[in-house]
Amino acid sequence: MAEAPEQLKYTEEHEWAEVKGDTVRIGITDYAQQQLGDVVFVQLPEEGKEFAVGDSVGEIESTKSVSELYVPVAGEITTVNTALDASPELINSDPYGEGWIFEVKPSDGIDGLLDATAYKALTDNE
Amino acid sequence: MNSTDDLRRSPLHAKHVELDPTFAPFGGWEMPIQYGGGGVVAEHTAVRETVGLFDVSHLGKALVVGEGAAAFVNSCLTNDLGKIVPGKAQYTLCATEEGGTVDDLIAYLVSDDEVFLVPNAANTAEVVRRLAEAAPESITVTDQHGDYGVLAVQGPKSTEVLAAVGLPTDLEYMSFVDSEWNGTTVRVCRTGYTGEHGYELVPRWADAPALWDALLAAVTEQGGRAAGLGARDTLRTEMGYPLHGHELSSSITPSQGGAGWAVGWKKDAFWGRDVLLAERENKPARRLRCLRALDRGVPRAGMPVLDADGQKIGETTSGTFSPTLRTGIALALIDTAAGIEAGTEVALDVRGRTLRCEVIKPPFVESHVK
Repeated sequence: MAEAPEQLKYTEEHEWAEVKGDTVRIGITDYAQQQLGDVVFVQLPEEGKEFAVGDSVGEIESTKSVSELYVPVAGEITTVNTALDASPELINSDPYGEGWIFEVKPSDGIDGLLDATAYKALTDNE
Repeated sequence: MNSTDDLRRSPLHAKHVELDPTFAPFGGWEMPIQYGGGGVVAEHTAVRETVGLFDVSHLGKALVVGEGAAAFVNSCLTNDLGKIVPGKAQYTLCATEEGGTVDDLIAYLVSDDEVFLVPNAANTAEVVRRLAEAAPESITVTDQHGDYGVLAVQGPKSTEVLAAVGLPTDLEYMSFVDSEWNGTTVRVCRTGYTGEHGYELVPRWADAPALWDALLAAVTEQGGRAAGLGARDTLRTEMGYPLHGHELSSSITPSQGGAGWAVGWKKDAFWGRDVLLAERENKPARRLRCLRALDRGVPRAGMPVLDADGQKIGETTSGTFSPTLRTGIALALIDTAAGIEAGTEVALDVRGRTLRCEVIKPPFVESHVK
């Protein structure tokens, strides 16, 4: 069973968002990493770039497939998790911790994200 | 999600369910791609370092029997059965008269009058149809797809596993023997598609679950694990082995797909002989090449291959992340006119990004089959 911690926000694209001061940390959910299988390469977003909600900013490659990485809130990418360059498998082993992917400084708030209950309902139906 | 209603299931389906598998459709069968607690990389690594147990019951089985069955098969399929003796198996191809590849398969020579074939799941009916149509009255071709299971024990510890369950192990590469096991007969073959020392076992359909249980216990004892078709694909790609539908197909000839070594060029007759000989004479227009990524990234099938000037010279047919090399690898059909040789650098267009690759001689990873 995939975990979805209560304190996080979620998207329909199976990403999580955690507010950390004036930035938001983004990763993919436990459900997403289970679906992907072994993650072997992450094309990280470019730091300092501005994006609109839903823009594709990178890619996650597993042994099986590739999936796009979206930015769930509009804003500037402030930092990326470079540890994933050497250890992309952190996304599998610790999707909500060491496997975080990037941080955004939101330009207009973080509305429109799902809470844990709504996200669990979504994955239960898939 | 694909509908699984029309998919056939292995005799080991219930065994897989116990192992928290991810199922996927493959060649018309619902088969495990990977297992919970494992995953492609862990299962792949088990096969390279210890041992893995695969269910490959989706593979076809067909029997050709009757006086002169071996000579008949030899007049149809590409490889030269005259090069092997009864008790030996051979990798061969079923070509069309136009030179396309209907399937690649293993022929087990039982006697002059009996050949057992293991085609790919999706192509079994077509191979059987073509052989049956061509067969003289004295020879019978029977589709036995649902009569047998096929289990593969692959890896450096495969001998220990077979010994532990009481099956014969002292077999030369590509040889086989019928063995009594647990009151039934199991065909034990020194074959496989992983590049490791291993065996493929062919029990009766109903006997497959008991054999799986015994093998899985022995595999676990040796530090190995059950492995799904995801790992089978990364393992065969590391060896540069073709997969029908990717490196070989109705529009890819054996010579193009790197399987010209499995054609008995000196034989008087086999399907597609004239076209294939002419192609060989004039050099095939494209050849399968092995590409190892120099940049970080994962090639996939269907990506354009570009030369130093950015001109398209081919296309990938398979691509994956090599768990052994920890880098992207691909097989690609590349135009002969491009003059590409081992050591040449080419590039892949990965969704608009450039991934530099080096052309290498297969295999990507050293073979240990013998």
